[in-house]
Amino acid sequence: MAPLLEITDLRVRFEDEVDALRGVSLLLDRGESLAIVGESGAGKSTLAQCTVGLIQPPQASGSVRLAGEELIGASAELLRSVRWTKAAIGLQGAPLNPVATVGAQIDEPLRERAGMGRAQARSRALELAREVLLDPLTLERFPHQLSGGQRRRAMIAMALALDPELVILDEPTAGLDPVTKGELLSRLSQLARERGFALIIISHDLSAAVALAQRTIVLYAGEVMEAGTSATVIEDPAHPYTWALVRAYPLMTTTKDLHPIRGRSPGPRAVPGGCPFHPRCTQAETICAEEHPPPEPSRGRLVTCHFGGVLDLLKAEGLGMTYRSGRQRTTALADVSLVVRHGEAVGIIGASGSGKTTLARILAGHVNPDEGSVVLGSQRVASSWRQEQRTFQRAIQLVMQDPWDALSPRLSVQEIIREPLDIEGAASRPESEDRVAEMLEAVGLPSSAEFLSGRTDSLSGGELQRIALARALVARPKLLIADEPTSMLDASEQARLLVILRELQVEMGLGLVLVSHDVAVVRKVTDRTVVLDGGRLAEHGPSELVCTSPQSPAARRLVEAAGIGLSPDGSEAPALAHEREESTWTRA
Amino acid sequence: MSAKRPPFLVLGGSVTGAFVLIAAFAPLVAPYGSQTIAGPALASPSMHHLLGTNDVGQDILSQLIWGARTAALVALPAAAIAMLVGLLVGGLAGLLGGWVDSLTMRIVDMFLAIPMLPLLILIAALVGPSQITVIVLIAAGAWPSIARVLRSQTLSLAQRGHVRAARGFGGGALYVLRRHLAPALGPMLTANLVYWMGTAVVLQSGLAFLGLSDPTQVSWGEILNRALTHEGVYFSSEWVWWVLPAGFAIIIVCSGLAFLGLAFEPRFNPRWNRA
Repeated sequence: MAPLLEITDLRVRFEDEVDALRGVSLLLDRGESLAIVGESGAGKSTLAQCTVGLIQPPQASGSVRLAGEELIGASAELLRSVRWTKAAIGLQGAPLNPVATVGAQIDEPLRERAGMGRAQARSRALELAREVLLDPLTLERFPHQLSGGQRRRAMIAMALALDPELVILDEPTAGLDPVTKGELLSRLSQLARERGFALIIISHDLSAAVALAQRTIVLYAGEVMEAGTSATVIEDPAHPYTWALVRAYPLMTTTKDLHPIRGRSPGPRAVPGGCPFHPRCTQAETICAEEHPPPEPSRGRLVTCHFGGVLDLLKAEGLGMTYRSGRQRTTALADVSLVVRHGEAVGIIGASGSGKTTLARILAGHVNPDEGSVVLGSQRVASSWRQEQRTFQRAIQLVMQDPWDALSPRLSVQEIIREPLDIEGAASRPESEDRVAEMLEAVGLPSSAEFLSGRTDSLSGGELQRIALARALVARPKLLIADEPTSMLDASEQARLLVILRELQVEMGLGLVLVSHDVAVVRKVTDRTVVLDGGRLAEHGPSELVCTSPQSPAARRLVEAAGIGLSPDGSEAPALAHEREESTWTRA
Repeated sequence: MSAKRPPFLVLGGSVTGAFVLIAAFAPLVAPYGSQTIAGPALASPSMHHLLGTNDVGQDILSQLIWGARTAALVALPAAAIAMLVGLLVGGLAGLLGGWVDSLTMRIVDMFLAIPMLPLLILIAALVGPSQITVIVLIAAGAWPSIARVLRSQTLSLAQRGHVRAARGFGGGALYVLRRHLAPALGPMLTANLVYWMGTAVVLQSGLAFLGLSDPTQVSWGEILNRALTHEGVYFSSEWVWWVLPAGFAIIIVCSGLAFLGLAFEPRFNPRWNRA
């Protein structure tokens, strides 16, 4: 049987310069649900409008077939017969006629298209209102008298009025409070199941997509970046864009600070050549700017990426390290494996002596492990004096725990930060001085001549650590390893450094490995966390899970020590109680 | 320790300073030329010859001053060469480790095991007396122990964060040695330089005393050699102004350099460094 909706190579171009859609293809079967997600300006609403023939040639080209009927270039009669009965759309923001009551507007298609009488139409409208959990009284009101949630429900009731086979809802939950949103979503999925209509839901709200739709497609700059089942696409994203989008999305379970996608959405007027996402992608290579990748199956879904999705940046396997002194053997690491993906932040936590620093040094290639291997991209990382190896390993930079030790007391600030460039020898003196000034600004330090020519002995620990960070970043690494970067700093300096670290990580698209014994720090900055205990991997998983519901005893001890309350509901109860007390007091 | 430091520094510093100045300005300071026959043979000290004259009538004070110049011209280059070789070998062995380290340290052990003076005498006798030979020989004898000391310091310095960081930026061994190790080892190098200059003065005097240095150049060892081979030197009071001053010159300069070296020592002691 032919699919209900078949879109092939759909292109939409407005005013001869705005590329809203650039070759979208998708299939939707009867009764199936599909979510279309993406940032503002990705072409989501344009795509929705095309599925009911609202956009026609010359702007649109390609093919949209709904139940076997071609909608692109279709006659007005055909379109009229299709709309509401076969495919109904609930437009963004629920635009209702302000001078008619909501009830009259729901009645309208029932009377005109289904030929019902006034009374029959009204009773059907009441039934619909009940189905979408809309208070029947609101039917007598005008749109401006309704709340946002009620207007959206009215919109949905209208869309469902003629029992269409396909319902398209554009941002049905935007601007709703979580309670209303939850109710509406569960009602919609229930309705879809009961009545068996196919559902396309357009949203930048990823949780809505997962809750409602079996499949999800990710749209970027008018193209499908990734398409697959919602569970795979949203919970285990493959495309770098989906991955960034998921991380930018606030979840109740994430305690981590929001992680914006670096750069700006290109906007449909100036879509970059090659892969449209390449300027913002953390793993872009030259091919990404030159060639447009085709959508290809990868990891159980379609991915439009030259590399089949997010690549592993660093892969450590079976690392083991034993220190010997005389006959005594101390196992610092045993069988530790770790993966850091492009642009990902991974935390390594563990008590003192659990092998964190040894691991950090091995990952950075400062020390060779006794067992196992570390691979960056496709090349092995190893401590070596060979020119080729040294040059390659510039891509990994280590920020050490003790900034007093990490910065030479004999060099000026300028010389210290310029050192990686001096060694590289590619940039001229003025160029490297510009880079130094730029980096200093990025880490929030002055770049005055006085500061640059000064020594490090008069600076605070926080300033020194920021200099060390600037020095590591001036080398343009792909992976930054920070070994307890804040352990010697006070709380305010720690906060400043972490904020800077996170911002620069996003902006420069770095992979980050953050080593710390402080769970509170790690959960703020990282996506995934690895727990080390006595040189072994005790636990690993998403940071929010490891930090809120640790499974291993080692992780539990660390979390308890960090004082993150493990109260049953997961809230930080004491702080809240304190706030409440304070507010009552002020009121009195 | 700190209470002891200033006297050593003052004493060593002034002796070394005087030695270097006299050596540098010998032509201005010396009353007579190095080979000039300035008066009667074996004259007693007088206004014209403050320390008298030797068997051919050369002014002994002038000979001492010119001898200081010879000593400095041998000691300084010899110690500097030894230092450079020691820094390169010890530094690279410490940094590179592995077979480079093992091999060079075995060579160093070999050099250290061979008794220095007899070897120097043998080679000097075989190659023939010249200033350059003496410099090279002293440097060859000095570098192994310098290399050994610098290697152990390098091993600990290589663990310092800024050294590891420099490697992480892709810096090679020579870069790390030049930019990070040499400055950090600076005080230690200075102390070693001073110490080995003292040793070089003794060695040079010894070789000259044995007649294994350039016979046309005045040196303290050569003065002693001439004086002690002069028949009957002990039977008159001549030895008091002919033998003793040269002997004292050697002792004073060596002690001065040793004191200065001692005064520098706390500065390269790691425990002092950290304070």
